[in-house]
Amino acid sequence: MKRIWPVVALLVAGCGVQPSGVDDGGEAPTGVAPGVTLYFVDARGELQPQLRETGRLGTVSEALNLLLLGPGGSNLRTEIAPVSTPRVVVTTAPDVIRLLVPLAADEVTPRGIGQIVCTTLGVHVQSGGARDMKVQIRFTQTTPESDVERTCPLIR
Amino acid sequence: MSPRGLRPRLLVAFVLVTVLGAAAVAWSGAGSASTALVTSAQQRLTETVAAQIAAVAPELASPPDQSALERLRAAVGRNTLVVYQDLRSADGSVSALVTDALRSAVRDQKRLMAQRITAEGTPWLLLGTPVMTTALDGARTPSGIEVYAARDLTAVEQEIDDMTGSAILTAALALPLAVVLALLAARSVLRPVRDLRDTARRLAAGDLDARSQPQGADELADLTVTINEMARSVQTSMAAMRRMQADARRFAADVSHELRTPLSTLTAVVEVLAMTADGMEPDARESAELAITETRRLVRLVEDLMEVSRFDAGTAQSRMEEVDVTRAVHDCLRARDWLGVAGLVAPGAVSARLDRRRLDVIVANLVGNALRHGAPPVRVDVSASGEQVRVAVTDNGPGLPEHVLPHVFDRFYKADAARSRTPGSGLGLAIALENARLHGGTLTAENIDGGGARFVLLLPRDAEVR
Repeated sequence: MKRIWPVVALLVAGCGVQPSGVDDGGEAPTGVAPGVTLYFVDARGELQPQLRETGRLGTVSEALNLLLLGPGGSNLRTEIAPVSTPRVVVTTAPDVIRLLVPLAADEVTPRGIGQIVCTTLGVHVQSGGARDMKVQIRFTQTTPESDVERTCPLIR
Repeated sequence: MSPRGLRPRLLVAFVLVTVLGAAAVAWSGAGSASTALVTSAQQRLTETVAAQIAAVAPELASPPDQSALERLRAAVGRNTLVVYQDLRSADGSVSALVTDALRSAVRDQKRLMAQRITAEGTPWLLLGTPVMTTALDGARTPSGIEVYAARDLTAVEQEIDDMTGSAILTAALALPLAVVLALLAARSVLRPVRDLRDTARRLAAGDLDARSQPQGADELADLTVTINEMARSVQTSMAAMRRMQADARRFAADVSHELRTPLSTLTAVVEVLAMTADGMEPDARESAELAITETRRLVRLVEDLMEVSRFDAGTAQSRMEEVDVTRAVHDCLRARDWLGVAGLVAPGAVSARLDRRRLDVIVANLVGNALRHGAPPVRVDVSASGEQVRVAVTDNGPGLPEHVLPHVFDRFYKADAARSRTPGSGLGLAIALENARLHGGTLTAENIDGGGARFVLLLPRDAEVR
């Protein structure tokens, strides 16, 4: 019976947390960026990204606030009507980002909606989010446009 | 260490099987469970750290300054090291723990890497990851920020140890059960074996009726049946042999008895013939003398045969009395006129309780045998020691050949085929031996140094009738 104890000890020692080599733990986190990319409309009526060098990526909400404030001094324009209080409420569900914008549906052109959607998805993707995320924009007035789940043609 | 009995052997075997089985089950069970525990803990910690970094990364200044690193480190928690080019922010002992392998893997793979190490007895999970910058087209490039975090796995190890402990405890609890089972199994095997042993002992002791009852239908039951068959067959053979022996003895007894009556008549006739022999012609007288001698020999033979038959039938009677052995031996020699050829050496009177007639028969047979086959002078030593009387008859002849010695007391044994017609009946020594046994004594034959045979009779001084 004495010979059995080393075996038992070996078995017990075989358990516990064993040191390992270097294993893959998955995708590295992301989200560091020199600034935030906003989308405006150029002279030909197409969406153009504009890097706003804020020194950090920031949140979707911050990006949309900047977008609502307009393109600033450049040859790009916005097709979103100016608002007095640029505050956007952002709710993120697993497969859709819901935006509560301080705009009525007629204050934004389809290209203006594209600006909002592309800016939102840009920040989302740069933060490490999925590229197939949908965006739902809820306007201040009740409209069928509020229920549409949208994607950005520039970010696929 | 190696047990001899079946019971300890079975016990040890059962216990070993149990211990090994339980150990194997515990080992594989605890092994897979501990792997699962470690894997899930590692995954949880990895996801947590990745989520913590991802949550704070968009808020970090780019390029980061020291305060950005501090902020990131604080977000990830204790034991975290954040590096960006020459800047670093560390907390806890993580700097000493991070391995070069992990650093190079983080730089090469540009993915979150994990490694388990044990430092000073404490198990650690090391996590290392670059913080990436993702372009709008999805391209990922390292931002230059690297985060290393160490997470203590002591709790996981404690959990595994507890699990292993309980597995060992379960195995230990199974041991008494194994012992009980082993004892039961040993008993079920050992009981038939013990029965068989008892039966075999009884058989060996002569009880041929002994049998074991076979139980069940296993190999032991087969063995029991076989042993019973063997006992039955031995019993049958023994009975047949005894019957044949008894038949043979009865036949010898009957023959000798039937011969006695005609022999008495013949003896009477021969006596008459002997008285008239002197007046015969020399040829006729020689024939008559031959007839007389042979008739006397025949009478002697029949008497010896009847004596042997009585011994065989167990009907030999003895009359015990106080006897002076020296005197009895002397009388025996004198009665046969042997005092001239046989010297008696005795310390004086040696008293013993025995059958005087049978002592006379023994001594006469021994001395007669010595005179016939050995050579005079014959010496008869009588001595007493403690509870025994010793009578030794030594002759001066060439001694007994080695091959004769074991058979010297056999009936009708002729040492020399050429000398088949000796005056003796061939039963003298056998009768002497039976008489010695009847007294509870022994009679042995041996050769003494310098030639000569010696027959030693040992009789108890206070013989019980056998």
